[in-house]
Amino acid sequence: MGPAKSISDDEVLGKAYDARLMRRLLTYLRPYRLRVIASILLLLVVTVLELSGPVLVQIAIDNYISVGDNAGLVRIALFYFGILVSSFVLAYIQFYSMQAIGQRVQYDIRMQLFRHLQAMHLGFFDRNPVGRLVTRVTNDVNVLDELFSSGVVAVFGDIMTLIGIVVAMLYYNVELALITFAVIPFLVLATAIFRRRVRDTYRDVRMWLAKINAFLQEHLTGMTVIQLFNQEKRTFNRFSDINEKLRAANFRSIYLYAIFYPTVELIETVAIALLIYYGGLRIGISLLTFGELVAFLQLVERFFRPLRDLADKYNILQASMASSERIFKLLDEPPRVTAPASPKTIPDFKGEIVFDNVSFAYNEPDYILHEVSFTVRPGEKVAVVGATGAGKTSLASLLLRFYDYQKGDIRIDGMSLKAMSPEYIRSFMALVLQEVFIFSGDFAGNIHLNRSDITAEQVAEAARQVGLGGFIERQPQKYQTEVQERGATLSTGQKQLLSFARALAYNPKILILDEATSSVDAETEALIQTALDKLMQNRTSIIIAHRLSTIEKADRILVMHKGVLRESGTHQELLALKGIYYTLYQTQFNFANGSRNHAQV
Amino acid sequence: MANDKPGRFDHLLPILKRYYGYFWFGTLATAFSNALILIVPYLTKLAFEAIQQGQPSAAVFRLSLAMVILAVVAGVFRFFMRRSIIWASRKIEYDLRGTLFSKLLTLDPGFYHTSKTGDLMAHATNDIEAVRMMVGPGVMQVVNAVVSTVVSLAFMIALSPKLTIVTVLPLTLLSLVVNRLGTLAHKKYQIIQAHFAYLTTRVQENLAGVRVIKAYRREGSEIDRFAEASRTYIDMNLSMIRLVGLFGPMLAIIVGGVTLLVLFVGGREIMAQRLSLGTLVAFFGYMGWLTWPIMALGWVISLYQRGTASLDRINRILNTQPLILDPGKSKSSPTKVKGKIEFRNLTFAYPRPDGTTGAPVLSDINLLIEPGTRLGIIGPTGSGKTTLVSLISRLYPTQAGQLLVDDIDIRLWPLAPLRRGIGFVPQETFLFSDTLEANIDFSAEENRSGRVVEAAMLAALHEEVEGFPQRYETILGERGITLSGGQKQRTALARAIMKQPAVVILDDATSSVDTETEEKIFANLETILPGRTSIIISHRVSSLKNCHRIVYLADGRIAEAGTHDELLAKNGPYAALYRRQLMEAELEKM
Repeated sequence: MGPAKSISDDEVLGKAYDARLMRRLLTYLRPYRLRVIASILLLLVVTVLELSGPVLVQIAIDNYISVGDNAGLVRIALFYFGILVSSFVLAYIQFYSMQAIGQRVQYDIRMQLFRHLQAMHLGFFDRNPVGRLVTRVTNDVNVLDELFSSGVVAVFGDIMTLIGIVVAMLYYNVELALITFAVIPFLVLATAIFRRRVRDTYRDVRMWLAKINAFLQEHLTGMTVIQLFNQEKRTFNRFSDINEKLRAANFRSIYLYAIFYPTVELIETVAIALLIYYGGLRIGISLLTFGELVAFLQLVERFFRPLRDLADKYNILQASMASSERIFKLLDEPPRVTAPASPKTIPDFKGEIVFDNVSFAYNEPDYILHEVSFTVRPGEKVAVVGATGAGKTSLASLLLRFYDYQKGDIRIDGMSLKAMSPEYIRSFMALVLQEVFIFSGDFAGNIHLNRSDITAEQVAEAARQVGLGGFIERQPQKYQTEVQERGATLSTGQKQLLSFARALAYNPKILILDEATSSVDAETEALIQTALDKLMQNRTSIIIAHRLSTIEKADRILVMHKGVLRESGTHQELLALKGIYYTLYQTQFNFANGSRNHAQV
Repeated sequence: MANDKPGRFDHLLPILKRYYGYFWFGTLATAFSNALILIVPYLTKLAFEAIQQGQPSAAVFRLSLAMVILAVVAGVFRFFMRRSIIWASRKIEYDLRGTLFSKLLTLDPGFYHTSKTGDLMAHATNDIEAVRMMVGPGVMQVVNAVVSTVVSLAFMIALSPKLTIVTVLPLTLLSLVVNRLGTLAHKKYQIIQAHFAYLTTRVQENLAGVRVIKAYRREGSEIDRFAEASRTYIDMNLSMIRLVGLFGPMLAIIVGGVTLLVLFVGGREIMAQRLSLGTLVAFFGYMGWLTWPIMALGWVISLYQRGTASLDRINRILNTQPLILDPGKSKSSPTKVKGKIEFRNLTFAYPRPDGTTGAPVLSDINLLIEPGTRLGIIGPTGSGKTTLVSLISRLYPTQAGQLLVDDIDIRLWPLAPLRRGIGFVPQETFLFSDTLEANIDFSAEENRSGRVVEAAMLAALHEEVEGFPQRYETILGERGITLSGGQKQRTALARAIMKQPAVVILDDATSSVDTETEEKIFANLETILPGRTSIIISHRVSSLKNCHRIVYLADGRIAEAGTHDELLAKNGPYAALYRRQLMEAELEKM
């Protein structure tokens, strides 16, 4: 339910401007500060160039057109043209450089998030749905990019333009400038009122939209119940209620825009009318030239331009504050299960595993494992059996240090897992999961998992060893054949063999295998068993076994029951015990494998 | 863009028609406001000429005042422009969303299995918004652009044909540039979106496969691969930026160029005494009014593209034929379920979205369930148990063979009485995030007072509810409390009991309820609902022991049928399952 989740997440609406978030966001600009400064300087130049237009018009009118200086007009036209061209070039460079910084920041934040996620412990992924995390790395970062590339800079540019216009007006004629500025308080007032109201209605609209989404999410999922209870009509009425509330909120915002934009236009016209009237008076007593009046008119028009997309900029700001809040929250979550300060390694690796009174809970105090103790000798093949929920998979997860155990210790060749770095531990172990995870990409990629020191020969050798070589080599591009739809077209058996090949290619010293429960046909079963033999050869192996044939290969069987190690021994010994193993054997293995295996015993 | 397929606007037009009045009024308001505001530059010209000729300041004042008055009146029209067109678009949005949702209410579970909820939600929100943008702001901008172009051009030609040509030609160039850049950007945008989807998949896959990645220490290479994909993404964005970055400066240079041309050509005309300075200034004004609509046209084109693409997606749903058609009420149609159910040679396969059907899930089912009896169904996962009972509620259309309810073919039953008479409790419990009472009384029965409690009692839920601080007002789900699996199942059961159905179907609906409570519930059903037919699917043999008849399904066929004792005597799959479960129960006690 990725998309649906993220939609409801998006409804966290914070403030439109949060200084704390903004300061933290700006730290991402630090590596590019020289470029930022250069870009801002360039923006300054571009602003000046663009504002020079009205000035040149003034000069042309007053110095040349009014006096009939044809040659002068040509000269200033050429000069104007030059300004236009250089402004074009510089504005383009400025825009690109600022956007490029925005893109780099986007890249930096995205990679920081991704790296952070790679370092997170598994407990974190148990708690956070994948869809939500994906949204952080993708959409939320994109929203921020808009802030950097258009929002902030555009506002900055607008402010510079406004200052430039004010300066130019004051330069021409202080009195006329002040008369024009008389409209500014009205403009500020109108904008302030508009902004506050828009914020409120925007929030309202978002809230009702979120409710529509939540309603849809729930009722589309529960559609069968609605239909079974003949509640279509009532459900429709309830939907219409929310839909109507959304419409009402939207209607309110229409009024705001319908009043705001004409008001701004009116204020602009008032400014022009004021200019023309007072300008006319000043020209009459030769305190102003025609050219200056024209320049004023043009400057006023530019003064009002930035207000046209004010609401959009405001929305960008608001959305990016909400996104950055979510991103920072994720970044502030500390990774657990980390390496100790000075991680140790095993000097002389043999492969002995000791569980010493290990107790473990995903969420304390619900213990899944209770004081489990056992030893696996180097090269020994141990099968772990037990009913569902006995704690078998937790054993495997602890060995790879996906989670930290609360009590007792696990040691490999006498070295505590907690004294070593998780990476080091995983460097000599391979885990084969019950449900095979196939990555998109080709067969080779699914075997070497992009480890560059595994050669193509090693990949092919691993595939051949597990009996998958023939199948892959018959594919059109052999090992480079894309696995369709993440393995959906592969059979269960083929997927398992592929995961075996993966483990074999990594050549681990300790193998941990959570055997698949799904049944396969006899031929595939034989293939898998042969491959399993290859896989376990010369390795300390711990197999969470579901198949009788696998159990029979083991040197020893550990029987887990309700989180406690209850029995241990060989198949025959345990059967003779007539305890849990005996019952398990009767129920699980008899039925799971049908009568065929039964006959073998 | 695809050609207009016949029927693209079939669903939208009837809705649009309801608001034609708004559109006409809005168009008129737009025309008036533009016509009025475009007089302002002309007044500027008159004012300049008055100043030049040294007329008394009162004349200039009158002109200035006229400008303000025009702006006020134009502003009022502008208000009505938005108030009518955008207003109508919101009404259309509301109507279209309602139409879509009422369509969704008629579609069958099969449709919901093949559609992603997220997509459907996107249709009801984002796609409808895109259609609204097309019929609201899109239409408004087109009207605005056409009117202001025509009016400006009229004034300009009247003032100076020569300067008009000088102004209009480069601005035409602007519209070409806008259009061209827009098309290029659109293409690039699609490529970027595709890569963004790839980026999303990469993260999604990485996080879903986190166990494998950690076990094989692939974090490093995953970071490298993701970095490469992200870098490609920003490279693509930068190439897009190089393109759209031209937009602003291009606009500036064209507008600046027109200013320059007007200044140069106009200046020479003034020097030759063929033109007044006022006319030149008025032209600067009209130029501004022409630039904006021309730019907006590019935007409108993309609104249209997005709007029609979204409309196509919405149409796809609106054009979906519901697989379950309500035959509707007629004089001869039945009104109340009594409880006899019969399958005759029924074979069923799930219909695919493309109209074909897959492999049969049920084959040659012949089964008679007499009113007032209890039938148990058991069998391995995927044997067709759920499908069999779903057909009785007519969640899927029957195909070959017949399904009779009270000796009447199920296809002839109006849906409302059929579903009212059948209390089907599906395997997956779905409760709404509402109060417990609202959930139990989901069928909104009349005279419900006391009946909610009664239903909860029958479902062995009442005692626990009494323990909740807010009892039946307790809100469930994310906003409220989380019920345990067993409590959820019993709530769903109470909800079905509330209907007092003639047939109760429990599809593994007590799997999370402990055996003792389950026994109690079954006993309750028996004593308080006498004469009801019940069908119980379970994985637990113990739940079915007391059924009048038990059917063992395997691979969509009835493998064996009989009472518990009869089936044990047969020593077939049912007996084997029974022995295994006995031992499992023993293991649990160890």
